[in-house]
Amino acid sequence: MIKIPSYIHFIQPGLMTSVQDLGRFNLAQYGIPYSGAMDRYSLEQVNFLLQNPKGSAVLEMSNLGPEMVFERPTRIVFAGAEADILWNKKKSIKNGQILEIQEEDVIKIKNFRKGQWLYMGIQGGFETEYIAGSKSWYPQITPRFKIKKNDSICYLSEEERFYPSVEPKAKVRSDWFGNHLIQVFPGPEWHLLPKLLQNRILKKSFTVSELINRMAYQLKEEISNDLPQILTAPVYPGTIQLTPGGNLIILMRDAQVTGGYPRILQVDNVSLNVLSQKRSGDKIKFSIL
Amino acid sequence: MEIRFFRTHSKLVEFIWPPLISEEILKALIKVQQYLEKEYGEGIKEIRKGYHTLSLKLQEEISEEDCQELIEEFKRIPAGPDDYPTKTWTLPVLYGGEYGKDLELLAKIHKLKTEEIIQMHSESVYTIHFYGFLPGFMYLGGLNPNLYTKRKERPERLIQEGTVAIGGQQTGIYPQESPGGWNAIGSCPLPLFDIQKKPPVFAQVGDSIRFKVIDLETYKKIKFQVQNGKYELKHD
Repeated sequence: MIKIPSYIHFIQPGLMTSVQDLGRFNLAQYGIPYSGAMDRYSLEQVNFLLQNPKGSAVLEMSNLGPEMVFERPTRIVFAGAEADILWNKKKSIKNGQILEIQEEDVIKIKNFRKGQWLYMGIQGGFETEYIAGSKSWYPQITPRFKIKKNDSICYLSEEERFYPSVEPKAKVRSDWFGNHLIQVFPGPEWHLLPKLLQNRILKKSFTVSELINRMAYQLKEEISNDLPQILTAPVYPGTIQLTPGGNLIILMRDAQVTGGYPRILQVDNVSLNVLSQKRSGDKIKFSIL
Repeated sequence: MEIRFFRTHSKLVEFIWPPLISEEILKALIKVQQYLEKEYGEGIKEIRKGYHTLSLKLQEEISEEDCQELIEEFKRIPAGPDDYPTKTWTLPVLYGGEYGKDLELLAKIHKLKTEEIIQMHSESVYTIHFYGFLPGFMYLGGLNPNLYTKRKERPERLIQEGTVAIGGQQTGIYPQESPGGWNAIGSCPLPLFDIQKKPPVFAQVGDSIRFKVIDLETYKKIKFQVQNGKYELKHD
């Protein structure tokens, strides 16, 4: 079977388009974040549908989405956020639908209707640099950290491949991230909060602010507190920090490995995928596990 | 030394020493980390350090009782031969001017001459407690208390790679450009992080760092040597 290195060319880069896999572990001792797909569940879905090896590298996109041209045939599939996906300018594509891409085909991602991150899996995964155990893009670790205009990324085209019969239109639902309840564990500094503040945090409905990126999501509502500063200590994706100014900051996949703000809660792994798909203005509530 | 634990969930637990930036605590953390890696390596996914915290991500579940028993085990770790790193690295620093934009400000805050700040900063020996914040960013202990300076109310949008800065009770070097709230006092011309190298940093946690005052000419010379791959970083 011949595999030909081929490229996707980006006519429009999109706002935050990058290659991600499951992330880069065991290097936190040098200050290197995990990185990896914001919504791991959707990454696993696209790879499953294409029968790719687990954790194959996929394209992660957010609003505004990119426009891209494929050099040679391959198969792709989308999952995660619901967006208007155009195949050669007309056909509107649904998540979970496996597309038999031909030479020079164009995919354009337009309006995101629901959710924050859209994933495109490709047959065999992307062939970008594998650095320190992962292909996930991050500044100073990989040569690129986001797609820029006229960039290209590599994949292997397998024209002669015999595809086992997979349901070409698997149903990929997106109601799973509609849930507004985020499951959390008490963090190391939770117990320093007065009972009253603990109750307020658990009863209150919070709004996701506009400050959201791969490193952290900040919530709009403030919780005035007089928690002491802590000496810098380990933090993980899902750690919720409470700043002296009252801001709640939820650390995400690209989060630094240590932090100096009190760590009041820790988001459960499953809920972290749900949370990652929240958009600015969405409401969430915490529920203690 | 009293050790506590906090179990966030069944696979994430941290052991907590008294909240101090101290070399004694760092040594205790390293000793316990080495013990855990040797005795329980298989069951531990990752060990992460803070100044007084050892955080464990586990392969298998751990109970509160297990955590308590582990603390008892830590107390019984024999003194034995020390594997504690002891290298001292001397890093050249060009202080002040456009390379350390906040040096004058610091002098004002502390009612000191800029030369006095440079002297205090460059005569101390610092210890690397852990890496964090950015890839290759060293958290250093040992800053002269006379130089403790509050972080900026509003972080700078861009701090240059190599910037030597002071934030609170700490000093450090930005291994890459980044936003940051620390006060810039100088610049180190050496690269501090290279993902192509194994490990990607030259110094180990526990090693010592010294800063050596250099002038602009030397700074440029070192930068040039670094770019041509001719600079060799040595330790004592």
